[in-house]
This record gives sequence, C-alpha cells and structure tokens, in this order.
Amino acid sequence: MTLQIQISPRDGASRIGQAERNDSLVARNSRVEPGTNIVVRIRRQEHDTGHYDTFSVPYRKWMRVLDALEWIAENKAPDLAYRWICGSKMCGTCAVRMNGREVLACWEAVEPEMTIEPLRNLPVIRDLVVDRRPFEDRVAGLEPWIERPSAYAGFPEPLSHKQMKDASKALDCIGCMCCYSACPVIGLGSLTDFAGPAPLVQLGQTALDPRNSPAKIARSLALTGIFNCVSCYKCEEVCPAAIPIVSRVIEPLKAKAALLLPERARHARAMRRIVAERGRVDPGALILSVQGLRALLRLPRIIRLLLRGKISPLRTIFRIKTAATEPARRLLGREASQ
Amino acid sequence: MRTVTADVAIVGGGAAGCYAALSLQKCGFKPLIICKGLVGKSGASLFAGNLVISGRLLGNSETQARNTAEFLIKYHNQFLIDQEWARRCGAWIEQVYYPELEELGLYFRRDDAGNIVTSPGAIRSIAANIQGNSGVPFMDLRRKQVIRAGIPRLEETVATALVRNSAGNIGGVFCLNYMTGEYVVVRARAVVLATGYSDRLHQRSTGTREMSADGLAMAWRAGATLVNMEMQWWHTNDIADPPCWQRMQVYPNPMLGSEKSARMINSAGEEFFNQQNDDPLAFGPYTVQLKALVKQVRAGKARYDGSYYAGFDHCDAKEVETYTTYGKAFRQLGLRFPEQLVETAVTSHYRQGGIDVDPATMRSSIPGLYAAGGVSGHSNGLIGLATYDGKVVADAIAAEFGSLVDRPISDTECETEMRRVEALRNRPDGGISPLKVKQKLRKLMWDKVGVEKNATGLNSALDDLEEIRLDALPSMAIASKSAVANYEWLDALDVVNMVEVCELIIYSSLERKESRGPFIRTDFPAIDNKNWLVANVLKKSGNGMRFEQRPYQLPYFSPGFDLRDNLQVAW
Repeated sequence: MTLQIQISPRDGASRIGQAERNDSLVARNSRVEPGTNIVVRIRRQEHDTGHYDTFSVPYRKWMRVLDALEWIAENKAPDLAYRWICGSKMCGTCAVRMNGREVLACWEAVEPEMTIEPLRNLPVIRDLVVDRRPFEDRVAGLEPWIERPSAYAGFPEPLSHKQMKDASKALDCIGCMCCYSACPVIGLGSLTDFAGPAPLVQLGQTALDPRNSPAKIARSLALTGIFNCVSCYKCEEVCPAAIPIVSRVIEPLKAKAALLLPERARHARAMRRIVAERGRVDPGALILSVQGLRALLRLPRIIRLLLRGKISPLRTIFRIKTAATEPARRLLGREASQ
Repeated sequence: MRTVTADVAIVGGGAAGCYAALSLQKCGFKPLIICKGLVGKSGASLFAGNLVISGRLLGNSETQARNTAEFLIKYHNQFLIDQEWARRCGAWIEQVYYPELEELGLYFRRDDAGNIVTSPGAIRSIAANIQGNSGVPFMDLRRKQVIRAGIPRLEETVATALVRNSAGNIGGVFCLNYMTGEYVVVRARAVVLATGYSDRLHQRSTGTREMSADGLAMAWRAGATLVNMEMQWWHTNDIADPPCWQRMQVYPNPMLGSEKSARMINSAGEEFFNQQNDDPLAFGPYTVQLKALVKQVRAGKARYDGSYYAGFDHCDAKEVETYTTYGKAFRQLGLRFPEQLVETAVTSHYRQGGIDVDPATMRSSIPGLYAAGGVSGHSNGLIGLATYDGKVVADAIAAEFGSLVDRPISDTECETEMRRVEALRNRPDGGISPLKVKQKLRKLMWDKVGVEKNATGLNSALDDLEEIRLDALPSMAIASKSAVANYEWLDALDVVNMVEVCELIIYSSLERKESRGPFIRTDFPAIDNKNWLVANVLKKSGNGMRFEQRPYQLPYFSPGFDLRDNLQVAW
C-alpha cells in the first residue's frame, strides 16, 4: 500500500511535524483490512519489573488504539491496567506511547503492528497507568486562575476573540500529558526547573487572557523556568488537540515573561537585541551579554569555540552588521510594538 | 482502613458535585469530594456541547425566554417535572450562573467584534470557547476552583456503600481507592450523591467508563425511594464505529453562527431529519429525531445500531468549523469533510429519573442523604440544571446543618462492606471475567430494554438478568490479586451495582403502561396523560419493591390532550 503524504502549502516551519501527523489521515485509517489481525505488543509492569506481552487482535472498522486495549482486556488479559474515562478526546486520561510516539488511545487509529508503552517522564503505577501527580502538582503550583485587576463589568463583559485568540487555543487542552512525555527538557529531570509544555498550556489559558492581572501572571510565570524551552516543537508534534503549543502558547508566554520578568530573560533579550543590531546571531556577543566577564573563567571552552569558528572576536568587537540588519530590525521592532 | 471526617461528603466530581462543594466551602463548611474518576475530568458534565441561554439574557425576547422554559418542561422532561423548580432554576441561570462563570474567567465565545456568538432560533445557546467542547473548559474551571479552595478530593476512589450512624441516619461513605487499594471511610453529617445522569448499562451508552449506576445502587440498598427509572433518553446520531467513540455525537442542535445543522440520511439515501425542516423551532431535536428514526427503523431503512448516516454535506466546512469542533471526528477517520457522511447509531443517554428528591432541598427519603444533579430523579439534563441542583443542595444543608446529628458510624457496617469488597478481589481464577459479565448485561439491555420495548421483551430480560445474577455473578473470577490499579476488581464492584439497577429499570419500564417521548412501549403506543402524567415512584419494601404514583402539578405548561399516539406528538 502506498502512503499518500498530504502537505498543504501552509506547512511552514511553524507546522513542523504536522506533515507526519497527517501522514495522511486517510492512509492511517486504511492500513489494515477488516477481517485481518493486528499485532499489539504491550509493556506490562508491576512494581519494578517489566516485560512485554504480545497479542493478536482482530481489526474492526476504524479501530482506535483504545478499542484494541479493550478487546485485549475483554478477551485475553483481563488484568491489563490502562486508564481511560470518556473514549472521545475530552478527558485526556488515555494517553500512551504507540510505536515510540505519544498518542491519545481513543483518538489514534491502530497500526498493523504496534508497541504500546506508558507515557515517559511520569512514574508508572501499573502497566499503562501512570501517576498524574507530578503534572497535577506542577499545574496547581502555577495557580492557573485569573485575578482581575479591576471589578468585573457584568455579563457580558467587553472582550473580543481577537484578544482571546492565543488563550482560546490553550483552552483546547485536555491535560493528556502527551507533550509532557515527549518533551526532551522534561526528560532531563531535575537538571532544569522547566515546568514543561502541558503545565505551560494550562497556565496559558489564563496567563494569555487579557482579563488577568500582570502581577498575577508574573508570579505564575516566575515558577515555570520557561526559558529552558528549546522550541524543538516535539510538544506540538504530538498534541492530539492540535494546539500550536510553541507558536501560540509558549512563545507568547516567553514574550510576556521577557516583559514582566526581564531579569529571567537575559539570554532571550540579548539574543533579540543582537539580531536586531547586526542582522545575525553573534554567539560571542551573546556570551558576553549573558555571562559578562564570568565567561573568561571558562577559557578552555572559549578556545574550543574559537577553534571551531563558532565565535569571531573581530566581528563581536567591531559589531559587524549583515545585510539582514534592516529587515531584522523592522521585523523585531514590529513584533515588539505589538 | 482509614477514617476521614468532613461536614459533608459529596460523591461525584461533575457539575453538581463541584458546585455543591464550592458553595458549602464558601459558607464555612468542610466538604469533601469522592470521585470515581478525576474531578472535572470524568462523568457526563464534560460532554456539554453548548450552554442554553435562559430568560432574557443576551437579548432573548419574551418569546424566546418562554420557549426555553417550555423546551425544558415539555421536550426534556415530557411534563414529568416540578415546574416551579424549573422556574426558579431558569431565573438563577439568568441572574447568577452566567455572570458568576464569566467573572471566574470562563470564556464565552466571542467574534472579533466582541459579541458573544449565539445559535439562531427559538431557543438560543452559546459556547464555552468552542461548540461541541464546552464541557471541557467549563469543568476544568471547576477542577481548578476546587483546587484553589483547598477542598479535599479523594480521586480514583470508588464509593461502594453508604454507612449509617448510630442515630440511624446516613452518616458516611465507605470507599476504595483503586489506585492504591486503600480503604477509606468518610464520616460526615450529610452525604450528597452527585453521580450523574448517565450510566453504561447498554451496549451503546454515553456514560463514561466509570459510570455504572453506583449512586442509584447505593441509595437503593440504603432504602432510598427512586422515581421514573424507566425514563431513558437516547442520542440518535452518535458515531457507529469505532466502538470507543460510541458517545461521540454528530450534534443535531443548531450551530453557533449558522442557520444550518446536521442532517440525517437513511440507508436508501433519503433525508429523514434536517432540523431546519423537521424541527424549525429547534425545541427538542433529540426527541424529534428519535421519533423520526423509529419510523425509519420500522420501514426497514435504518437499524438502531447503524445503517443510517449523519453529517454536514449541505454546509460549508468553514461554516461548521468556525465555532464548532464537529469536523474533527470526520477528519480523524480520514473522511472528506464536509462532503462525506458518517454512519451513526443510537446510544442510551441521560436518565430522566433517579433518586426521588424534594426539588426544594434535594433531600432524599432517608435522613442524611441528598442527591443532586443527574442522579436525582426530578429533571433531565443540562449542565446548568445540574449546577443549580448543586446550589440548592448546598443551601439546604447549610440551612439545616444544625439539625443534622454528628454520631459515630457503624463499625459493623464498615467491616461487612470491607469483607464484601475484599472477597471480590480474592475470587479464584478461572471463571468468567467481570468485564465479560458487564458486556453480557449491556447486550441484554440493548436487545430487550432498548428504544422500543414491550412486556414480552421486558419479562424475558428479567429472566436473562436472573441468569446473570445466579450463574455469572457467583462464578466471576479475577486474574490479578493486585490491589493497585486493579480495574478488574473495579469491574467486579461495578457489575454488582449494574445488575441491581438494571432490574429496577426493567420493573419500572413494565410499570409505566404508556409511551411518553423517548420512552416507547410498542404494547402501549399512546401517551396517556389521564393515567400516567405521574411520577412512577419505586419504594423498597422488605426484600421487594412496590410502586406508587404521584401526580405532577401543571401551573405553566400542560399537554392539552388525554390520549394520543406518541409518535404523532412532537415531544
């Protein structure tokens, strides 16, 4: 069977990963013929020991991953532990990894051969059931609710969708933690204090809401470690609710953080200033701006960067500009004034 | 066994339970929520597609305000409702509910100019963020309110029995945290059951995984009176495949910002329901649709489990998708949207009946026990109504708190319950699995207690049920003895409740000797307002049950006829 990859002209860098996501939906729903069987390998785990069990499952029309799990529990492994509540993409409790990528079991079509594993970055309780607490606690800690700077004007209050467009995207979040499992920075564990994409989306629901007070937003944002996000778009790739997590939630939140908590955004602000001034990233200037003279304490690294041509002292010292300076200033300036 | 104390124990984390807890907390009481799923993420409230506007809100005319009340009384409840309660509820929704939700930050969908987008018609509705998904941000807000208020929650914890105190009142709840295997006894001066409208008792059901009629079964075992258990509502166009999408609806309701809505096509390719033609007032698409489908099934042009289709092929994709989620399911199945239709089927939805309560207080027939939201049998559902119940029950408990005695609960009852629950987990291996028994029961309900019922089928259902009770239940086996995340164990607990409640539903269905709206008896095809415009009250007596009738007052709306063929009546 040939796969039809549908890529629309709108697919730019910001929609990275979505081509695979749609690889295509027609193809994903027709990979298996009704009447044939699919092979499902499931990670089983209780206490610390884990193993995989393999099941052969009869395919039925439009079968979802959750249907396969249900069939297995009913017919082969009654003791299989997996969490689900609504079965129709609302509760966000049935996320698992299928062949290495995070999916919502009730939403994703089965594949002819699939390995099902629990989400990463969360403790496993049993089989596919993970402990949601680390995520829930992090969300609650961010206090994702609004505090109005002035009294509520009465129903309906003045508000337009334009003002709510980013928050509205975040409101599609069902808290399934797919992105939390896919995030490589969360994967680093306690090396960073990054809250992770899912808690940021949860926060974005109120922090990107114009009715919320800037002081409240600043207090919450200070707890997120948001500048640890490397904008790799892994979260966006796996989001079953198709939320543009980086472009419509994390980036706008970073912009707010840069404004409200400038001391936490030194790196981002310096980068922006340098690009606006010179039309390119100058790593030497960036290091100096962020680390100052402390950079000299890391001499061996500086020498390595020099030898590999990553930094160029002449360029940095003489602030050499490129032809892109004008457009860069125009673009960044325009964004800044928005 | 751990004991926890609260002023009020609330079983259920949906719209009614959360609102009751929040209101009680605000009055200075200490509520506690026991939730079988996750607060705000389980149960029926999540499925609120849109929110109905009541009264004169958002420019509703006098006629539209009256229509909304008529819609609730006639099309939602077929007159089996306290009309004074409906009036109070409508006023509260208009004056308190919407402003309160918006002040908390719920986003009622606007257009770019700042107007709240409404659906057109005789009854209008709005959406929280997006139509089709309003329950998600709505309940997420409630979850965060509960967290913010510091209300204790026992989540993924199933309430298995109500426990009496030494005064003989309901004074606690016995629970099992099925994630850890820990038993928890919650002692409280009052218990509120808020376990929802919809249970997974049929092969196709909108009830979510955890909904297995626990609230009804516990209340009945404790001796509470039930009412109108036969009054079952149906969704007419939920997606037929895949199985786990059985509660995914191709909404027949008017769409936000459009004059159109979904249409339905039979197996011969003929349109048999299009809201704009068949129900132009958009009063009660659900009942009207169901009756239209019954006619198709009788003509051999559809089946209740499929072979008819729904979709938006008469609309523009943009028209549908600007304010609704409706296109997403089609696209996810690889269908071309909106050109292609999807096969649909009937799904059992909300139950109008439930625990018999005084709608002024939500008090049940047993001291100390209250019921709010869907599980209470006084009205059929909308998320606003369930929320109002939460307010009413909180007000009532706050007012009479002083008279609710705080007495020790019965240790014997707790010990007995613990032994019962423990014994289910320790069932020997090798018999029939609880999930299999559940499926068997659901098939029986689907085949014999489905959309069209008659005495022969219902009696035969009782025989089958007896077989399940005598053969399947005792030979139920559990493969894993783990106390941690043991869903098999949970299924075993569920199925005991389900068998009990199915029996009550069947007896109640036999008792109501008429048809009424979505309750269709082929052996009694007419609506009989002379004899049956009454509450079908089910009381426990000794080991058995007896029925009583209680008439409804009709101060504002009445049917205007004594006897008429149900299928010829719009509601």
